[in-house]
Amino acid sequence: MAIVSAFLIPGSPLPYVQRDNPPWAAMADAMDKAGVALAASKPDTIAIYSTQWLAVLDQLWQVRPNPTGLHVDENWHEYGDLPFDMRTDTALTEAAIAMTDGYGIRSKGVDYDQFPVDTGTIVASNFLDPDNKLQTLVTANNLYHDWDITVNLGRVVREAAEKLERRVAIVGVGGLSGSFFRHVIDIADDHIASDGEDEWNRRMLGLLEAGDMEAINGACPEYAQQAKVEMGFKHFAFILGGIGGTFASATVHHYGPLYGAGGAVVEFGL
Amino acid sequence: MSKGEIIAGFLAPHPPHLVFGENPEQNEPKSKGGWEPLRWAYERARANIDEMKPDVLLVHSPHWITQQGHHFLGVEHLSGKSVDPIFPNIFRYSFELEVDVELAEACCGEAADLGLTSKMMRNPNFRVDYGTITTLHMIRPQWDIPVVGISANNSPYYLTTEEGLEEMDTLGKATRKAIEATGRRAVLLASNTLCHYHFSEEPIPPEDMSQEHPETFDGYLWDMRMIELLRKGEIAEVFRLLPQFIEEAFAEVKSGAFTWMFSAMDYPELPGELHGYGTVIGTGNAVMEWNLIKAGLARAA
Repeated sequence: MAIVSAFLIPGSPLPYVQRDNPPWAAMADAMDKAGVALAASKPDTIAIYSTQWLAVLDQLWQVRPNPTGLHVDENWHEYGDLPFDMRTDTALTEAAIAMTDGYGIRSKGVDYDQFPVDTGTIVASNFLDPDNKLQTLVTANNLYHDWDITVNLGRVVREAAEKLERRVAIVGVGGLSGSFFRHVIDIADDHIASDGEDEWNRRMLGLLEAGDMEAINGACPEYAQQAKVEMGFKHFAFILGGIGGTFASATVHHYGPLYGAGGAVVEFGL
Repeated sequence: MSKGEIIAGFLAPHPPHLVFGENPEQNEPKSKGGWEPLRWAYERARANIDEMKPDVLLVHSPHWITQQGHHFLGVEHLSGKSVDPIFPNIFRYSFELEVDVELAEACCGEAADLGLTSKMMRNPNFRVDYGTITTLHMIRPQWDIPVVGISANNSPYYLTTEEGLEEMDTLGKATRKAIEATGRRAVLLASNTLCHYHFSEEPIPPEDMSQEHPETFDGYLWDMRMIELLRKGEIAEVFRLLPQFIEEAFAEVKSGAFTWMFSAMDYPELPGELHGYGTVIGTGNAVMEWNLIKAGLARAA
């Protein structure tokens, strides 16, 4: 079995850099739980697709063996730094890059000192693998890639994992509903900014918990539009591709606000 | 302290390719040149900056995107290596800059007074975005003039274009008030490309100018129409057309720098000096100057 676990998590840095704030502490605790579950699935590698790593020309893949550094989020800089220290599974990544041609996706590896690793990738790596025991495969969100292409990216990762006999945890990093507070709020009172979007989030999470693939596939386009889901919910498309388009059920470890936007930590039952 | 004033505004786009083509020692990758007409345009702009002797350069960059308000660099000295996330193969630039924190704080305060959410960026580990770095290098490679870096709040994308640009207009007014109150002689830099349709594949090598051309003819025509109006000083007409230009040419001016700059200058119906136009991976870029000293609207040094 190449894909041993799969998770949907938010890429906001707030639960990581400010976990003593009650609304975000619950999210951080859920991320910790996801990390424990991920470790229990005994993966060799975490495959991360983050909505916040934006690409435009090609599909980019991190191939630097040891991306390390200190990142400051461009919006939440006042809450502190995001250190990172990752070990890239270069063999798996190179295999995935080579396979993208077959899906008509032009790919490129990036191997540069000080390359700006995005906030979502760092949050995922630090929460899910706090002791840096695992290798990573990290790929970008090309803004011009649609749902189907993103499904194929996940599929490519699965096929590369099968070829190399890797045990891989698939992680889609991104938010749920997209409306957020534009003004400064009392962070202790953070809540989902839109009641309508809150309802949509809960409906979609319910469908995920039930593993109702027909209903999920039918609802995703409208959900993405109605709830202004971050990047059209493509992070879920990556997960679907990675896990073969189906799952039995899902556990929602937590659903809550991230400065008005929605976020959830979801573990998929494979 | 005498009253400060804006002495010029520049449309100063930020394709990192221009730095790559120039081969400054700060940038790791080296090229055989390329994009000379735009780089020569910046040479003319540099000469005029030299003559104006501003106290400060203010730059509004679409690649420092913020959701909660308009942010201002607020650390006196910032340094690091800026690697372009889209074009890391051509832009890995070691920068060092001094921030005019007093003016930045004044801008932030005035913006808040006018009802905008605004915030100072105080984290010394913050990495300045490549749009800010590229525009500043191209306009003043000596890095010897303090700067104020301003983020692009994503309001034109989150709200409607018109609502977002209204915020940028307010930000411009706040900027002007802050400059006047702090006695600075300031140059404004709007770090924006015009038509933003671009190639989907990068030429190999990137500086192969035999492959450079506008991505779309319609986008090119829009650029020429807007530049012609700017050269004539028909600023009101430019801003009447701006939403349509943004929509049809996917123009990067949507991110707000252009509106911020003109608002700060109070939308002078003043012919802009076109230093040059050129495409970069298909996008349209113009280096233009509105010199308020030459127009008699500001004092010489």
